[in-house]
Amino acid sequence: MFDGPLSGIKVLDLSEDIAGSFCGRLLADYGADVLKVEPPGGSAMRRVGPYYHDEPHPEKSLFFLILNLNKKGITLSLESAAGRRILKELVLHVDLVIESYRPGHLDDLGIGYDALSAINPNLVMTSITPFGQTGPYSQYAGEEIVSYAMGMVMGISGVQGRPPLKHGGFQAQYQGGLFGAGATAMALFAQDRHGVGQHVDVSITECVASTMMATQTIYPFIGGVQVRRAPGTMWENPMPCKDGWIIVQAGGGATWDDIADFFRAPELLEPRFADRAQRVRNGPAMDEVVLDAIKDREKWELFPAAAEKRMLFGLVQTPTELADCPQLESREFYRQTEHPVIGRIKVPAELFRMTPAGYQLRMAAPTLGQHNEEIFVDGLGYDRETLSVMRQLEVI
Amino acid sequence: MTALPLEGIRVLDSTYVFALPYTGGQLVDLGAEVIKIEGPGRPDITRGGGLYGTFPDNDPGEDWWNRPSTYQLLNRGKRSMVLDMAQEEGRQIFSELVMVSDVVMENFTPRVMRRWNLDYPNLRKLRPDIIMVSNTGYGHGDGPYSSYPAQATTQEGTHGHCWITGYPGDEPSKAGRSFVDFLSTWSAMLAIGSALRYRNRTGKGLWVDIGMYQAGVMFLSEYLMDAIANDREGERIGNRHPNRAPQGAYPAAGDDEWITLSVADNQQWHALCRLMERDDLASDKRFATLAGRQRDHDEIDEAIGQWTKHHDKYEMMHALQAQGIASGPVLSGKDVHFDPHYRSRNFLERVEYPPERDMGTRIIMGRPYKLSKTPLEIRGPAPNFGQDNVPLLEGLLGKPAEQVAAWADATVITEVPTTGEPSPTLDPEELVERRQLAEWDPEYRQRLGI
Repeated sequence: MFDGPLSGIKVLDLSEDIAGSFCGRLLADYGADVLKVEPPGGSAMRRVGPYYHDEPHPEKSLFFLILNLNKKGITLSLESAAGRRILKELVLHVDLVIESYRPGHLDDLGIGYDALSAINPNLVMTSITPFGQTGPYSQYAGEEIVSYAMGMVMGISGVQGRPPLKHGGFQAQYQGGLFGAGATAMALFAQDRHGVGQHVDVSITECVASTMMATQTIYPFIGGVQVRRAPGTMWENPMPCKDGWIIVQAGGGATWDDIADFFRAPELLEPRFADRAQRVRNGPAMDEVVLDAIKDREKWELFPAAAEKRMLFGLVQTPTELADCPQLESREFYRQTEHPVIGRIKVPAELFRMTPAGYQLRMAAPTLGQHNEEIFVDGLGYDRETLSVMRQLEVI
Repeated sequence: MTALPLEGIRVLDSTYVFALPYTGGQLVDLGAEVIKIEGPGRPDITRGGGLYGTFPDNDPGEDWWNRPSTYQLLNRGKRSMVLDMAQEEGRQIFSELVMVSDVVMENFTPRVMRRWNLDYPNLRKLRPDIIMVSNTGYGHGDGPYSSYPAQATTQEGTHGHCWITGYPGDEPSKAGRSFVDFLSTWSAMLAIGSALRYRNRTGKGLWVDIGMYQAGVMFLSEYLMDAIANDREGERIGNRHPNRAPQGAYPAAGDDEWITLSVADNQQWHALCRLMERDDLASDKRFATLAGRQRDHDEIDEAIGQWTKHHDKYEMMHALQAQGIASGPVLSGKDVHFDPHYRSRNFLERVEYPPERDMGTRIIMGRPYKLSKTPLEIRGPAPNFGQDNVPLLEGLLGKPAEQVAAWADATVITEVPTTGEPSPTLDPEELVERRQLAEWDPEYRQRLGI
């Protein structure tokens, strides 16, 4: 028996999006037994790329793969009465349900939190949605860009004179998944400790907003409203060097003298750059000095040299660099998994280390309906004929 | 009345800056007793104001270190103890606190706790079921960057975030502020909740080793898979979406006001054209498919911008959402305080300060989730530096008063930082002039009712 901190917790993951799926995956990574429940036609995430070798195929979506590592999978139609009956049977045996439908949708089907907690009073149910379960926008459609916009990120991102800028990728969805997993872990502790089951209502937009603490507080502390940076100020942002980009920040263990020395730029010691206020005021001039100092230097030469000086220093890495990173290697961030269709493949695995009981990669993502027999026949006691009728009726 | 999830749980929070201090604040909301530990010469950097948070009305006051905004948000409801860990007595007191605590959080560089004999193997000797959480830039271990100094501001490039963020075809960029810090905040929440349940079941403790770098990289998982399986580098597509079009941020009526929208399918595209009264676009075959709209995205953006710039951002959101189109206005740090949805969910909470702190009432964010059976709220202001030194030493640890006074004389404990100074405050009017603030609203208190 695998000894993970969440071992023994049984979870149904009904979510169809990135956030809910990622939440379920994180709990599975640390030991929970998570069962992915997909509609008979397969999760929508199976139709989202990237695909293995660029081949669109429901078993080759790499996005579905990384969101559903360590889970078992069944198919079940929640649109059919028979499917909902089976879901209720499953709910009797689980501690947690994760879902991401539009608020009220599961209630309309008779399988919302109230109905399920009537069957299993200790149940924790986590709902991760764009705007949360309550409030005037709860029924509104969400999307990454909308969460960044309403979560205060875009108002300060990008440069003045151009549109506000969003994060790349699906940061809001991942945040909803991670923050939701954090809230869920607390609810699971309360379930174990106090015997309390409850509904955890996670708003993705609020997850994004919660990261904007300096931006939010400046209004109720001084009446100020933050804005995107002016064009031309690059300090603390990516600056081009010979073969890429670097980012520098003052502070850390390095003095300003150390920084001037590192850049081999004695001009930085001039009074106009002497303190932070001066440097902000003379930002463009300072950028010019630094850009000139790094234009012939390479990022991988600068990175360790800056660390020698105890500087706060970053370089812009690309996905292929990150896929082959010695630091991540040393942390066992990537693991190899065996997928029935894709074969052996390296995946980003461990978010953080827990010891002595911690992360383990137990299995790849499930193929469609991979564990139907195990769950319905061995688990719930249906016979194989019933299973085949359910298949014909597209319940599974 | 159901007990809060973490009632009776004591947490030693020896962490600085944003990431784990925020975890500590969230743990207080959940009912834990969180003791923030700082060194006499190491007040938390968020206490200094400036870039890390503003003083109320730009007034540092007599005790500037107790007043800045982000310090207040991150450390709400904690107790404060100031302890010189460089002195043997300081470490001894810390050890005794460990013995009566459930969780210890720290974010020193890896060698520090080892040097003090306060790493996990040593903490376990003090309390076998202790849960320890360490947060560092690159994680513990013998990796090449493990000892590198790190803060989110520079790590956003290193963990790849900047590579995928930016205007199309333009240089890599950032979005938000110190983004990766908050991935550590919530990694710690997940780890602590899991570890407490594990301890409840098995009686055993755990060590949690979080590296911010690794958390940031995890959030690029689909790009990593595309690199691993297809050798692809990913590209910056600005505000666009790989599988939807059009999508973007468009100018709305007013000064620097913006609306975002994202069209999922052909039906929504036609609905958008109807709203814009642009039948010509709806019937243009070039835009009939997703691929076509992605190809001619620039032209569509131009047309949408011509429509949006005449309308109020909220009116457009409601009209678009009525058609099922995902849409929302770009909200500033001011806007959120007046948004009906945020208000109805009580996401922004009022914190009232006792008169002697001269802080008035302020508004800070609560938490991005709700618990149905145990509703949570901010349980109090952030503590003054060292305010709980005496009650904790005399009350919790049972130390005699003369002993505590001797420690104060030797600055093992203190209530005034021995180093540091407040960041210079900048005149808001000047900041507006230099376009570093969009607006300064001297009437903000009346408007907020505080």
